[in-house]
Order: sequence, then C-alpha cells, then structure tokens
Amino acid sequence: MTRRRRLVVAAVGLLAAAVAPAAAHGAGLSGAADRSLSVPTWLFLTTGGGVIGASFLLASFVTDRSFIRRVHGWRRGGLRPARAAHWLGRAVGLGGLAAVLVAGLVGPREATRNAAVLTVWVGWWSGYTMTTYLVGNSWPAVDPWRTLAAPLPSLDVDYPDRLDAWPSVAALLGLVWLEVVSPVADRPRFLAGVVAAYGVVTLAGAVVFGADVWFRRVDPVARLFRYFGRMAPLHYDDGIRLRLPGVGLDEPRLVTSRAEVAFVVAVLWVTTFDGLVATPLWRDAAVTVVEAGVPPGLLYPAALVAGYAAVCGVYALAVRYSKRAARTYLPADVLARRFAPPLLAIAAGYHLAHFLGYFLELAPALATAAIAPLSPPEPVALVLPGWFGGIELAGVLLGHLLAIWVAHAAAYDVFPGKLQAVRSQYGITVAMVCYTMASLWIVSQPYAVPPYVT
Amino acid sequence: MSGGRASAGDTAAPTGERAAPPPKPPEEPAVCGHCGDRFADDRLLALHRGRAHREALTDAEVEAYREARTEERDDVRLFRVKALGLLLLIYFGFIYVYAFVL
Ligand SMILES: [Zn+2]
Repeated sequence: MTRRRRLVVAAVGLLAAAVAPAAAHGAGLSGAADRSLSVPTWLFLTTGGGVIGASFLLASFVTDRSFIRRVHGWRRGGLRPARAAHWLGRAVGLGGLAAVLVAGLVGPREATRNAAVLTVWVGWWSGYTMTTYLVGNSWPAVDPWRTLAAPLPSLDVDYPDRLDAWPSVAALLGLVWLEVVSPVADRPRFLAGVVAAYGVVTLAGAVVFGADVWFRRVDPVARLFRYFGRMAPLHYDDGIRLRLPGVGLDEPRLVTSRAEVAFVVAVLWVTTFDGLVATPLWRDAAVTVVEAGVPPGLLYPAALVAGYAAVCGVYALAVRYSKRAARTYLPADVLARRFAPPLLAIAAGYHLAHFLGYFLELAPALATAAIAPLSPPEPVALVLPGWFGGIELAGVLLGHLLAIWVAHAAAYDVFPGKLQAVRSQYGITVAMVCYTMASLWIVSQPYAVPPYVT
Repeated sequence: MSGGRASAGDTAAPTGERAAPPPKPPEEPAVCGHCGDRFADDRLLALHRGRAHREALTDAEVEAYREARTEERDDVRLFRVKALGLLLLIYFGFIYVYAFVL
C-alpha cells in the first residue's frame, strides 16, 4: 500500500468514526423520540449530505488509473454450476409460485398468517430482492414464468425496436402504483389474482415474441433483477465468478439506450415513492389536494408520473452540467448512459433500508406459514433492537458511497483527463447529495398510512 | 478483466459519437488524427492519444503525451490541496456545529 493510499483509507476511517456516533444518535429512524431531542432533523440530513460530498472528495484523491482498473478488473473463481442447481432453481421457483396461488386462493384471509402474502412480500420482494444485489442475480434460474414459458411454442413476432425498454419502464411504474393503491399486500385472494394475471400476460408475451426476447427486453422484474445483479459480487461469466461489490455497474454495455436510462431512473424513483407515500407530509398534501376537488383515483398515478418526470429532469440536468464541466464532445446521451448504472447502487441501498427490518421482523411468520400454509399457527414477529435503525441508515449511505465510487471509475474510463473526469462528477454529486438528504428525510419520518387506498 | 475496460480505446466511441460540441466550445476542436474524436483542447487530445493509441504514436505525439501528463500531475496536486482543504472545512464545520447544537 502506498503512503497516499494509506492516507485515503485513514481519512475514510476518520470520517466514518466522526460521523458514526452522530448518525447512530440520529438513527432512531422509526419515530424514536430521542432523535428529535439529540440531533435535530436538519443536522441529521446535512450530515448525510456532508458524508456524500466528503466521500466524493475522497474518491477524487484516487487518480491512479491502473489502480482503479485493477480494483474493477479483480475476479476470482469460474465455478460451473452443476446441472442439479438448474433443477433446484426451477423447483424453488415453481414451488413458490404454486404455494402463492394455492395459499392465496384457499389459505387464511389474514395477511400476516397467509403464506401467499408472506411469500411474495417478505420472502420474495424483501428477502429475495436483497440477494440479487448482495449476492448475485439467480432470477433467470428461479423465475417460474421463464420455466413455464420455455416449453411453449413461439410465434416469433419481431419485437418493435422503437419500443426498446419503454414497456418495462411503464410496467415497473404500473406495478408500483398497484402495490401502493391496491390491497395487494392485505388480501390474499387479490394477490393471487394479480400474480396469475401477471403470469398470463408474461406467458402470452413470451409466446408472441419468444421467451428470450420477452424476458430480456420487456419483463420488468427480469430487467430489475438483472440490473441489481450487476452490483452483486457473484456473477455469471462462463462460470460463477467473484468480483468486488458494485464494480459491474461501470461496464459500458449495461445501459445502452435512453429507454434503459429511463428504467434505471424509474427504479430509483419507485423505491423513493414507496417510502414517500407513507410519510405524514404526503398524507397532509394528499388530503389537501383531494379536498380541493382532485379525484382520489388520479392522485397516486399523477404523483407517481410527475415525480418520475421530475427525477428524470434532475438527472438530465446533472448530465448536461457534467458535459459542460468536462468540456467534452461526447453527446449528453452517452454520458447519461454511462452514469446511470451507479444510481442502481443508491436504489439498492434504499431498498435495504426499507425492507431489511421488515424482512427480519416477519421472517418467523413466513417460516411458520410455509410449514403449514393452510392452517398456520398464530404469527410470531421478531422484535428488532433499537440500534437496528443504524443498520438501515448505513444501507442508505453505503449505497450512495458505492454509487460515488462507481461513477468516479466510469468517469475515469470515459474521459482522457483526470481533472476532467473529476469535474464531470460535480453536477451528479450535487444531485446525489440532494437525493441522500431527501431519502434520509423519508427514512426518518414516522410511518403514516397512505390515504385514499384500499 | 471485464470486457469493457480491457483498454482505454474501447470507450473511444466511433467518429460522430463525439461530434456534439460542449457549451462554449473552442473555435477549433482538437481532432485526433487516429480516430477522429474531438477534444476541447490540445492537452486532452494528447492524453487521449496516449491512452487510446499508445502503439501508433509518432515521436512528437509521444512527447506531447509526456508533457500533458506532467502538466496534469501538477494540476492534480493543486486540486488535492484544495480538496483536502475542503474536506477539513467540512469535517471541522460539522464538529463545530455538533458541539454547538448538542
Ligand atoms: Zn483517437
């Protein structure tokens, strides 16, 4: 280790040590009253923003191109999964799907005892999704719809290229809207219906366009897990290989069109939207707007789309500023594609903050319901200790730090000048600082039931 | 090593991809004689040539690359001093604010 690098490492440690006690103080998260007494919210948020800004400055100290290349090129392994693993993946996927459909239709009606609700929300959307960015994307092997689509005939209709990834953007926004406004997490029968409907659309699409095209270009869940899998340490490249977390996000071939950039931004936005609608601020705003005469049914889709447009606009602005600051002849679109994947790390960090506690609290209930899906015992919930909020907070910050680093590495890959690369990140870093503060604010808010939903 | 970063040349997009001038462009862009990429000044061009076309450089281009690297090193050093100053400012700023508030 050179002296310079040791300095960087020491500085990171120092900053973390300085900020950690303060952050831990401020991390009562789920409405702990002691935060408001010790660290005021504005200071808590500014500290989060400051950590992001400081880590950008620290990353800018790493100017050794070959060091960055070595870090990002480091790979180990090359294990070929056994045939049995494929079958196991398929069996787990199909078994899970069957359990969701059966328990959803004939299981108990209380959500906290129903195996379908617990499997989908706790097992799959919380727990499994975490494995896609923390471990590796195993979804292509598990996805039951892909398994079911494989033996079906295909009409092989040409997928219209101009549609690109836009259907998956629309589908992702649509699914999140459904998740927020419908009883999909409370009513097992309804959930089973949604899962079945999703399956019918998926299988029909796979038959029309071919399974490969459908799952590569249209299916939003497959795309989401594929993107999350890019930041995971395990990946498939002629065998299962190990790399450092996040380094897969700076590969140029990950995001190759404007629609795919839009998908990445949508992933970021929906994780935020999900939290935003459960804040007291949203509750008050929604009530005001509806009392002013806006139909409640329009409220959520309008806010979802308007917020999405705003986040897209901020990103476009940051990229334009990046082009100006780097004085590059590269079109803004090229930069937008290159700097979009790091945002996935932020989205993953936010997902972790949002769902890790939820997953751990309800995992025992999932286990008991899975053992006896049709007549489960009374649900048991794990009670998490108070310091757990600090871990959730760390998820948000770690996601941002990873994003800063990956964007730094991508900029070094794109631009010939070192300071040019650093300057290209100013606008994006400012956007990230604002986003961190917004995310931390949402995470720090007490939970409020979203109004006007069933 | 991942496919994308095997060499710096990979990211040098084909001609035309780099044809969008930045705001307030220079009067004459510096154009790479090897691949046609455009740059805002000669130093960026020299750095680009050194990274992307290392094997094909003329003696003059090698010399220009060396010079550009030296200049860049000095600039990076200055930047580090500023960044360190800013870091200390943030660090002590927060310590001060925390001491004041708590
Ligand atoms: Zn060139």
